[in-house]
Amino acid sequence: MTENQVKILEGNTFVVSDGRGDIEASRTDPTGLFSFDTRFLSIWVLTINGERLTPLSVDDLQYFETRFFLVPGTGTVYVDAKLSVIRQRSVGNGFHEELTILNHDDKAVELLIRLDAGCDFADLFEVKDALKKKGAYATRLEHGRLVLSYRRETFSRSTTISSSQPCTLDEHGLTFRVELGPHGSWSTGLDVVTAVLGAGDGGEEGPSLAWQARRLPTNMARNLERWLDQAPRLECDWEPLKTTYRRSLVDLAALRFSPISAGRHSLPAAGLPWFMTMFGRDSILTSLQALPFAPELAATTLRELGLRQGTRVDDFRDEDPGRILHEMRYGELTAFEERPHSPYYGCADATPLFVVLLDEYERWTGDIRLVRELELEARAALRWIDEYADLQGNGYVAYQRRNEETGLENQCWKDSWDSISYRDGTLPGFPRATCELQGYAYDAKVRGARLARLAWDDPTWAESLERQAADLKRRFNRDFWVEEGEYFAIALDADGRRVDSLTSNNGHLLWSGIVDTAKAAAVVQQLMSDRLFSGWGVRTLAVGDGRYNPIGYHVGTIWPFDNSFIAWGLRRYGFKAEAARVAAGILEAAEFFDGRLPEAFGGYPRSMTKYPVQYPTACSPQAWSTGAPLLLLRTMLGLEPVGEHLLVDPALPGTIGRLELLDIPGRWDRVDAFARGRVETSRPDPDH
Amino acid sequence: MEPAAGFVGFFEELGPREHEPLLGKVTSRVRFDLVEDGRPDRWLVSVDKGSITVLQKGGPADCTVRADLALFERLCRGEENALAAVLRGALVCSGDVELLFAIQRIFPGPPRERRLQHGVRSSR
Repeated sequence: MTENQVKILEGNTFVVSDGRGDIEASRTDPTGLFSFDTRFLSIWVLTINGERLTPLSVDDLQYFETRFFLVPGTGTVYVDAKLSVIRQRSVGNGFHEELTILNHDDKAVELLIRLDAGCDFADLFEVKDALKKKGAYATRLEHGRLVLSYRRETFSRSTTISSSQPCTLDEHGLTFRVELGPHGSWSTGLDVVTAVLGAGDGGEEGPSLAWQARRLPTNMARNLERWLDQAPRLECDWEPLKTTYRRSLVDLAALRFSPISAGRHSLPAAGLPWFMTMFGRDSILTSLQALPFAPELAATTLRELGLRQGTRVDDFRDEDPGRILHEMRYGELTAFEERPHSPYYGCADATPLFVVLLDEYERWTGDIRLVRELELEARAALRWIDEYADLQGNGYVAYQRRNEETGLENQCWKDSWDSISYRDGTLPGFPRATCELQGYAYDAKVRGARLARLAWDDPTWAESLERQAADLKRRFNRDFWVEEGEYFAIALDADGRRVDSLTSNNGHLLWSGIVDTAKAAAVVQQLMSDRLFSGWGVRTLAVGDGRYNPIGYHVGTIWPFDNSFIAWGLRRYGFKAEAARVAAGILEAAEFFDGRLPEAFGGYPRSMTKYPVQYPTACSPQAWSTGAPLLLLRTMLGLEPVGEHLLVDPALPGTIGRLELLDIPGRWDRVDAFARGRVETSRPDPDH
Repeated sequence: MEPAAGFVGFFEELGPREHEPLLGKVTSRVRFDLVEDGRPDRWLVSVDKGSITVLQKGGPADCTVRADLALFERLCRGEENALAAVLRGALVCSGDVELLFAIQRIFPGPPRERRLQHGVRSSR
């Protein structure tokens, strides 16, 4: 049923149902009402006089609200449209459903309306891996409500179902007997309320964790309107770009997530709906992409990640002092330490990227107070690079998991099992020092030095960081350079040998600034060559390398987020036209997805498929794909904060024509950017 | 051994420190209700920009943390993770939850049973 799934959400509460609004989850089927990584409803099936319904249409009103138009019966020949059924559902604390039945006949009808309800209280991880539950279930009828609950020791979760109209309750659902007059209508409000309870938590002692989990979202429609109002306005000759821009802003609104400690502030979660939680890497990179549009996301990301920064050595969680978390989860397996996500720290890039974001945020906003507030965290992050990440003992950042059961093998963004390979396709051992990690570490040191002078009054440390950065750059350009191909190897293995495949990671190196200027032209030539550039974007792995597969997750597909940072890197080294070509390819691909870029699409040459082939993934939208068009707008317009001003230096694809981005927020208050497309990016005519 | 010895000892050891940098941004009172045989033993930990004082008393606090004494003692030895315990409902936190995130940073890491063997050689 994946095709017809309907998903709505608010924060980390979401509902996945079929096109009728029904939920019939099995142990492994990912439908249901989910909150805090737990399924709170796995059965929710509507019948009328014993019959299931047929959908006529589904209106996705907002990301948090949807409406199903249904008729009784599942007849394949024709639909008897004497009755209409409307289910309007919105997510909040659980969900609210307004069920309305209209009689179109001039005769009265008697209806037996039934809602079956049930819950398995599965942890998201259990839905993925089909594990067996260890606690006990209970069902009670109390005060006209049906309460489903689950308990394992002190761990307790419950779902309470109630109706505004009288009904008969039993342990498996709600029954309504309704007589509906000629052309009459009937409706009821159904509330499904989730609860997270701990031992002795009666809620009488003021705001508790459980209480905060029950917070009702503020007026969501008005909140979305305000979010859109505050973003810069885009005017453009090329209509699809306007659609993509609006889609990105709305999706980014849906992807906002407020951790319990953050009050009303929010940060970008990684993906909807399964990754609606804090991820170090995804939250940081998306905040970077969105800086010129919604800089407040970066501030929350930095504060919340700082608050959860590692402080001890914990092998189970792959935690070290100073390390920025990889992923936070709230479900049963995390609670009982059967999974390490409380939080899990197995990620080697988020820590240097934390410093990069802090510096870039200050450059845009001038918010030096936050830089001062996070001095300790930034220092600890920079110390982590030198004291905990040098696993090969050669001065490079490397990773190897210490939790060998449930930890992550690859702790870089290309985190699938075969993503890091030699040219001949064989895989290196561990620890692995991937190249982009060195770039991020270099950038973190350079930016850390700037902040040490600007905000922390420590010029001595700034000089030392700069010396380290210069030394890292010199060694990196020698040790990672693949002489015969003129590009940087994706990694060094444990023996110090180059893992010599040609990958998109070279673009991230340009973004970080670690590439010697003398080598930049060769790197750019590789990125824009037929082996890497498909016409739509830069592939993760080059055609001709051992593991290349145009639909391999990290070994040939094209990732819009990856390309947005590559374009930024190309601009950084002055390759404006090349940056515009990458931007044009990705934005033209977005048109095929109605403005919502997928996580990845196939690496087939553009001349062969004429359209981008979507890679199937469970989450859409993905935060950093949503952020990609925003960063591409920044790179095309050449937006760069310089002191108190915003520099605009456009290099726009000719196909876009006129582009205006109005009211760009920053330390300059609000400014406008104008551009005219002059860069020839040779978009092939799709008809030929 | 007197009740709560491990817990109080842990905080008393912190007390003489002029400044606990991990709590440098914290100025608040956290009340720990250490439950034994159903009765809470109340301890008020006051933090003033990283300086810590511990008093055996009740009273209002910005954040209240309640759990079995045994669990607190395990936290102080690094054998228990505070955030997992909150998710499990074994540790109940009321008030400003952010304070719990902040204060749990000072608990030690778990005892390390084995050292990682570094370097897995490449297969080629």
